[in-house]
Amino acid sequence: MTIEAITLGGERMQLNMGPHHPATHGVLRIRVESDGEIVSSCIPDHGYLHRSIEKIGECIEWPMFVPYTDRVDYVCAMNANLAYCVAVEKLLNTDPATAVVVPRRAECIRVLVAELNRISSHLIAVGAMAMDVGAYTPFLHGIAQREHVNDIFEKLCGQRLTYNYVTVGGVAFDLHETASEEIASFLDQFEKEMVRFNKLITTNTIFRDRCANLAVVTAAEAIAWGLVGPNLRGSGVDWDLRRDEPYGLYGELGVRVPKGERYAGRKGAVGDCYDRYIVRLLEIQESVRLCREVLKLLPPAAGKANDPIGGHQADVSKVLKRPPKGFVHCRTEAPRGEMGYFLVSDGTKVPYRVRVRTGSFSAAGIFHKVMRGIFLADVVAVIGSFDVVVPEIDR
Amino acid sequence: MTGLGYAVDAVAVWLSGSPAPGWIAVTVAVLLVWVAPLLAIIFPVAALGQIVERKVAAAIQRRHGPNSASLEGPLRFGFRVLLCFLPRATQDRAFQRFLKLPVVRSLLPILQKLGIGQLAADGIKMLGKEDIVPRGADGAVFRLAPYLALTGAFLPFCVVPFAHHLVMLEVSVGALYVIAVSGVTVLALLMAGWGSGNKFSMLGGMRAVAQLVSYEIPVGLAVAGVVLWSGTMDLHAIVAQQYRPGVFTFVGWNLVQSPFLAMLAGVFFLAGLAECQRTPFDMAEAESELVSGFNTEYSGLRWGMFALAEYTEMLLIGALFATLFLGGYQSPIGEQWIVGLHPLLATLLHLGIFAVKFLASLFLMVWIRWTLPRYRVDQVMRLCWLTLVPICLVAVFGLAVQLVLAGGTEAGTAYGRLAALPRPALGVLGHLLGWAVPVLLLGVLVRIARRRHGGMHPALRQLTGGGS
Repeated sequence: MTIEAITLGGERMQLNMGPHHPATHGVLRIRVESDGEIVSSCIPDHGYLHRSIEKIGECIEWPMFVPYTDRVDYVCAMNANLAYCVAVEKLLNTDPATAVVVPRRAECIRVLVAELNRISSHLIAVGAMAMDVGAYTPFLHGIAQREHVNDIFEKLCGQRLTYNYVTVGGVAFDLHETASEEIASFLDQFEKEMVRFNKLITTNTIFRDRCANLAVVTAAEAIAWGLVGPNLRGSGVDWDLRRDEPYGLYGELGVRVPKGERYAGRKGAVGDCYDRYIVRLLEIQESVRLCREVLKLLPPAAGKANDPIGGHQADVSKVLKRPPKGFVHCRTEAPRGEMGYFLVSDGTKVPYRVRVRTGSFSAAGIFHKVMRGIFLADVVAVIGSFDVVVPEIDR
Repeated sequence: MTGLGYAVDAVAVWLSGSPAPGWIAVTVAVLLVWVAPLLAIIFPVAALGQIVERKVAAAIQRRHGPNSASLEGPLRFGFRVLLCFLPRATQDRAFQRFLKLPVVRSLLPILQKLGIGQLAADGIKMLGKEDIVPRGADGAVFRLAPYLALTGAFLPFCVVPFAHHLVMLEVSVGALYVIAVSGVTVLALLMAGWGSGNKFSMLGGMRAVAQLVSYEIPVGLAVAGVVLWSGTMDLHAIVAQQYRPGVFTFVGWNLVQSPFLAMLAGVFFLAGLAECQRTPFDMAEAESELVSGFNTEYSGLRWGMFALAEYTEMLLIGALFATLFLGGYQSPIGEQWIVGLHPLLATLLHLGIFAVKFLASLFLMVWIRWTLPRYRVDQVMRLCWLTLVPICLVAVFGLAVQLVLAGGTEAGTAYGRLAALPRPALGVLGHLLGWAVPVLLLGVLVRIARRRHGGMHPALRQLTGGGS
């Protein structure tokens, strides 16, 4: 940027943003060095929310770790549950003796809750980004819709934030009788609401001008810095695990993947904040479509819980006591990108090692690169565009 | 001399007991007649502005807004104070009686729903809070800033005509005075920002100075345009000059007098928004960036003063907009009948009309705030210097040309002549015709700009409900 060359010659001022700052999305601390309004360096400082979740994983039994995955990313706890459970199932399937078949109905429910939670997580992301740019109203409208999703989940599993719903071998509870209609009517209502949301903020000129050509990450850079999920796709890289390495039911559904295409028009660039923002909105649309598809595929409930078609929970209590030895790495597409679990088993009922890899961590890594030479006011917008959730960074 | 001027003289004479009162008596009289009532009206209205803001924001965000704070507590306290000479039991009995009155019983819940109770609760809360001065702060500067902000917001009201001859100072350079005095706010914000000993505050203060100083130019030019058109700087005269006999009084308003004046009105409103630090120009406060900007370190009543100053300034911008462009306190229809009424009744009507006008602009400001995101610092400056100032210059130049072509007097302009036609309906028709050409031109310009900008991405069209 030319701004950088002109102004970054003077005296620097250090500014602490966070850990308590209205716009750092939790207890994230960012050490900003600036020359007046221009940022010369911006170093994120993590660790304020470290809870030793990986260490806890080494001390408790396989199924007992599921509630902890909720806390890895509480904005999309369903996806976090799913990531761990899919990884454990992959580990169990390495040995035919302990192989587990997830009932088809449970697979459908998993996609359903994962996509609903993706919707509610992205609503937070786009709403918070709008708020960072100074528009408070869209955030509240997004939160109102998220509440509807929470209502659905509350009926499903009794929780509104940390669900502990997806289990190894299925899901904890079957759908209640009216769930399908409730979800369908929510989706109808939600689509109309999103049109209003987009008219309110997405196409707003001020918003577009602020996000266009800001913190541009090229496709090569995005890959080099290990960006994942919407941040990667925002840079124009066509990569989505749900389509390219499908797990569960996703292979049958045919996920359409949006990517950054310089949505801001002439003023923008591929991989700017506006592209990342729009990619999330398009993913919300895609999730709505997937939910509708899955509702069509959903087999009727059988009386038995471990029925291979209409059940919701395979019987895994025995195999989890004695899983196969070895290690697996399994990655899934969470709202904030790849959520990878690396599990090491020594054949006992307690994992030897549980390692979590999350999207926000790699996103926080590129901050100091993209934030050089931008305006102080844009620091929060850039954080918002990368959709960083702090518990995911620290774990 | 204004009506209030006579009142001041009378009170001063009465106070001193001599026909030639000394300066002390005059000062006291000024305080009693001018300042106290104005303070007593402006500040509560400004505080009410806060409730308007919260309620409108709630409506926009589909919430309820403040509706839970009861008025019972403050009222009970009031009773205790009023009836302090009676025993406690009697006070309480009286209060219970009072609560059971049908009027009170029906009114209290409504006021509570409207959030009036919240106003009382907030006020009491602010009074009770600790007044913190940070260790690194420059004490005197820090303490003085809120008073200065309030002064800067309040002083311009001295020359705003609220009704016919209901104006504190009928100075001949009212417009100039307003611009000069409201400049004090810049100093207040700079002092608050610098004195707080906080980097966020300092950034906010610096932004405020850059922004306010810049935006005073479009505001000044817009006012200059009106002054050029009216030939006077006296705000009262500017209002009087917008008077038209007949049914449709509003054809005389500056807003519809000339397209150039309408341009200036738009610029004035936008720049006014920037002058009172409102979204999308709230650089100095910028919650998501600077925590709370220049008033980050303020607490309690000092913070309350800044808040009050902000709302007072919003009222001021609304009042000035009404005065300069919307005929001041005059009714849009049938002003001549109001003038013919009893002076007291006319004054009350004028006050009401003026209140409606500036509350409308208050509502517009609140609406804008809760709808739009914030500009960035450089974008705010660019908008000022590269868009608003050139528009102002063009408009002022256009006005000058128009005046020269029309022979110098307002009545001689094309619009003036059309408006002065014997039949009011014809006058309105003439106005509409006179407006059609510039509006069409503007439409063409917008189309060209849109084509240059390039169309919207198809994905965006689909997101906003259009076909994919």
